[in-house]
Amino acid sequence: MPNQTEETRGTTKTISIRDLNKFYGSFHALKDFSIDVEAGEFLVLLGPSGCGKSTALRMIAGLESISSGTLQIGEQDATNVLPKYRDIAMVFQSYALYPHKTVAENIGFPLKVAKTPKAEMDAAVRAAAEQVELGELLDRLPGQLSGGQRQRVALARAIIRRPSVFLMDEPLSNLDAKLRGNMRAELKRMQSELGITTIYVTHDQIEAMTLAHRVAIMKDGELQQLATPKEVYSQPANLFVAGFMGSPPMNFLEGGVVNGEFGTEESRFALPGAPDTAHAVVGFRPEDCTLVAPGAGLVDARVYTVEMTGDLVLVTLELGGAHLVVKMDKDFEIDTDVTAGIAVQPDNLFLFDGNSGDRVDWTGPRS
Amino acid sequence: MSRNSALNEWLDKNMGRIFLAPAVTLILIFSIFPLIASLILAFARVRFTGGGFKVRFAGWRNFDKQLFGSEQFHLLGTFTEISVPGWLFGLLATGGLVWWMVRYVRSRFTWFGFIGRLITFAMALGLSWMFAATLLSGNPFGTVGTTLFYVIVGCGIQFVIGTALAFACSQTIRGSTYFRVIFFVPMMITPIGVGYIFRMMADTTKGPFANVWQWVGLGEFAWAADPWAARVFIIVADSWQWIPFVFIMMLAAFESVPRDLGEAAEIDGASRWQSFWEITWPHVLPIAATVMLIRAIEAFKIVDLPNIMTSGGPGIATESVSLQAYYAWRALDLGQASAIAYILLFITVVICVSFFNLVVLARVRNQR
Amino acid sequence: MSTPARPHRSIFEPPAIGQMSLATKIVLYSVLIGWSLFVLFPVYWLLITSFKEATAVNEGPFFIPWVDFQPSLHAWKELFVIDYADTLRAYFNSIIISLAATALSVLVGSMAAYALSRVEYAPNLITILFFVALLALVAVSVGVWGIDWRLAAAVGVALFFFLARAVGNLYQVRLQNGDILFWIISQRILAPIVVVVPIYMMFQSVRMLDTHLAIILTYTVVNMPIVVWLMYDFFNSIPRDLEESAQLDGATMIGIFREIVLPLSRAGLAATTLLVMILSWNEYLLALFLSTSRAQTMPILVAAMNAGERGILWWTMSVAIIVMIIPVVVLAVILQKYISKGLLVGAVKG
Ligand SMILES: Nc1ncnc2c1ncn2[C@@H]1O[C@H](COP(=O)(O)OP(=O)(O)O)[C@@H](O)[C@H]1O
Ligand SMILES: [Mg+2]
Repeated sequence: MPNQTEETRGTTKTISIRDLNKFYGSFHALKDFSIDVEAGEFLVLLGPSGCGKSTALRMIAGLESISSGTLQIGEQDATNVLPKYRDIAMVFQSYALYPHKTVAENIGFPLKVAKTPKAEMDAAVRAAAEQVELGELLDRLPGQLSGGQRQRVALARAIIRRPSVFLMDEPLSNLDAKLRGNMRAELKRMQSELGITTIYVTHDQIEAMTLAHRVAIMKDGELQQLATPKEVYSQPANLFVAGFMGSPPMNFLEGGVVNGEFGTEESRFALPGAPDTAHAVVGFRPEDCTLVAPGAGLVDARVYTVEMTGDLVLVTLELGGAHLVVKMDKDFEIDTDVTAGIAVQPDNLFLFDGNSGDRVDWTGPRS
Repeated sequence: MSRNSALNEWLDKNMGRIFLAPAVTLILIFSIFPLIASLILAFARVRFTGGGFKVRFAGWRNFDKQLFGSEQFHLLGTFTEISVPGWLFGLLATGGLVWWMVRYVRSRFTWFGFIGRLITFAMALGLSWMFAATLLSGNPFGTVGTTLFYVIVGCGIQFVIGTALAFACSQTIRGSTYFRVIFFVPMMITPIGVGYIFRMMADTTKGPFANVWQWVGLGEFAWAADPWAARVFIIVADSWQWIPFVFIMMLAAFESVPRDLGEAAEIDGASRWQSFWEITWPHVLPIAATVMLIRAIEAFKIVDLPNIMTSGGPGIATESVSLQAYYAWRALDLGQASAIAYILLFITVVICVSFFNLVVLARVRNQR
Repeated sequence: MSTPARPHRSIFEPPAIGQMSLATKIVLYSVLIGWSLFVLFPVYWLLITSFKEATAVNEGPFFIPWVDFQPSLHAWKELFVIDYADTLRAYFNSIIISLAATALSVLVGSMAAYALSRVEYAPNLITILFFVALLALVAVSVGVWGIDWRLAAAVGVALFFFLARAVGNLYQVRLQNGDILFWIISQRILAPIVVVVPIYMMFQSVRMLDTHLAIILTYTVVNMPIVVWLMYDFFNSIPRDLEESAQLDGATMIGIFREIVLPLSRAGLAATTLLVMILSWNEYLLALFLSTSRAQTMPILVAAMNAGERGILWWTMSVAIIVMIIPVVVLAVILQKYISKGLLVGAVKG
């Protein structure tokens, strides 16, 4: 491997983040953020724009100072270590390619900085370019490349050093939908081949679900849930996570629980075993319910719109001002403004505490 | 870790200081220290003795002489009776300024803003009465008046013409490249050269327009002997030299107006005229204000043109404050030179900071 | 987006074509052509005057060479053959001084501008005021009370280091980068006449009057505020992630500045260099104070042609002015392709 100046370089590392806080003046951008990333893991930070994902990532990189808390990379405390000693490679949303350097110079820059001998550097550049299929473009300037090609240059520049950690900040968000799908698959394969610990920031849940070993979902600078994609989907920790994951998002009904029965203003249905509360939220996913005759389902609602997406039909219904979405087969047909029932299997119902938003386990642990 | 990387490490850690230090040091030595020394000199009498000089504290005497004493006519102008138009103007200006202050105090009030405006108020009041008592009362005015004339009239002309030319050139016309290059030419000529060139231009007997002068009956007219003709001529030369600067800046400003804005306005049915006032002008106005500020700052320093074209004459009619200070220095009167220079500095700072705060920043504040 | 190459349109290049009425066109062209004449005629007159004999100047306006008057090279000969020593010395002085001053002020100024755009500073205003007060005290004690300057300086430095910390820790008023930037830029408000007398005395006391170095240093400081101001805006417009990426890859700050920031700032540097070069090349008042003979620059030489006993020799003066234009034109032609339109606007957009 090209530039291992110290023995610890180039071996993939764990990252341990403890109570990290970031203040911009009086603005609290990151709140008591703690995560342990395993060696070789692909961790995705997911959350809406402005929730502090980039801030967290940049603090790990050392580009942003740490207001309080500790950061450990491998065995070493890295809280106050300069970025260049953290042995980290980062891919930026804008790719951050140097516009005045050719593709080869861009890819080789980390080695040049490390004063690698010319021949060795050229070989490494070619190998990295091969790996991302950029072989013929080495003499071009970034301005002469397409978006996807630029993305590959940025990747090649990151992998050439064999760093012990990869950081990526929305690397695919500037690509069109089709290219994004391809790159996603390639990224995943590359990461598992190289086995390098990766922290990946995105606001796109599909990217998170497909790429991650584990997903960390954030909101307003706070970690909401850290779990595998499957867990995040099937056991969301709270209303925010439940509403954020899944497309279209989960349907919610607000009401209260009395004697094992959930009631809203419009309707009521049984929730056997649920604890009594004045304020509760019941959720179910559009893909977990079907439309049935009025009165035959959990609740009745009026059909608001019907959308055909090609492989399925999305029916939006209105109930007491709220909208509920049901995914039906592609040849399902229904008129607007008729009333229909929505049927859901009881184990597909989620119950949330209406005040804290946390999920309430009311039928024992699910799988 | 090798020694080299230890050095790099140290450089990295202290990069902020290392990059800023040379600039700050140079400014401290060649700007701040002289500024302080100059202030001390302004309150002192300097005597040259063999090989060195002696400095003796003189209190306010230097300023007193310039502002109220024997040199008052030179710096501020000659004061006798104030004429009727003088009184009228002075009272009107005072009324306007008082109204402005009252309005500020009533609308919002901070001590910082109030004191700042008080200084602006005092300066404007003083200059208005100086104007009323000299020019409007038929008395000659001094170097402060002349400098302000160069700044206000000169910059005004340069702004109007420079902006008009820039707007014309920002239109899509053929040959615009050539016009741009040509218009830039005067900026490349040294101000001294410009002074001499315009002396040739203005020569009524041997200059290129001699026949024209003769034809209109001004063949014997010596412009350098007439105060206003001399001042106007200096302004013409100054404008010839500096319009290119305004032109280039404003051209860049006009071309930075996003094209789709104008197109959108056109689709909405706006005329060319409307689209200029509604879209283009508001977009370039902040840039225009900054350009004028820069130009005014430089104009306050004017010294080479009057020195070359008229040596400040006839009498003191074209002498700027800078030139007056230079002449004082040449007469080895360092105390007076520094006092004059400080008065210039004070006027410049108050006017420029007022302009910056009340015009440039006010726009920024309003936008927020 | 960082990578798509920004089209480097030169400031001298017109935009795309639109439509306007004939009347508008006529007005527009007459204004532009009229102004071109107003700009070019004095230059033309300068040029032909440089080829005129004394009689052709003194006997009234002659406009066209070979028709109105017989051009001659006598003025050029006078300046470059007979008086060549004076002319060439001033010429080389001017070139050395303005090149060195431009290089220095662009270097020092861009470093400061870069630091101000990337590093966060928080100096304590109280400490600074304390420092300035001490500086004034030292100046007074040397200048007015006649205390030995070494003693005064030593006491001043000692006082600063012992007291400034204590005072600074007690009272803190933190300045920000914007304040430092404003302070540097505001130095441009200072008319040279305000500071030149002490500068003159300073150089006199170290026997550096009439040397290149004295003028170079002074010009550097006078022009630095412009460099800082233009380059600060320019550096701010360079996306930061380029530097951050390089930083993660292990580049040092100096390396980043040299390898990434400077190459990307070519346009800004070119425009700034041109402007500062013109200002130093044409500067008059400071040179008048600081040079007498050996370090005399071209503007002083030209201005001095007024003082001869033969009256003004318009022909040789015209030659001198023309040869003064040449280097500026050469530089402008070299640099103009780097100067993009965006720069000037970025600089004044507040
Ligand atoms: N340099 C800064 N100064 C002040 N606020 C900032 C700064 N950088 C980011 N923020 C704020 O911190 C919050 C989180 O930003 P960021 O981490 O970029 O969000 P995202 O999750 O979209 O990447 C945002 O509200 C943003 O406005
Ligand atoms: Mg982000």
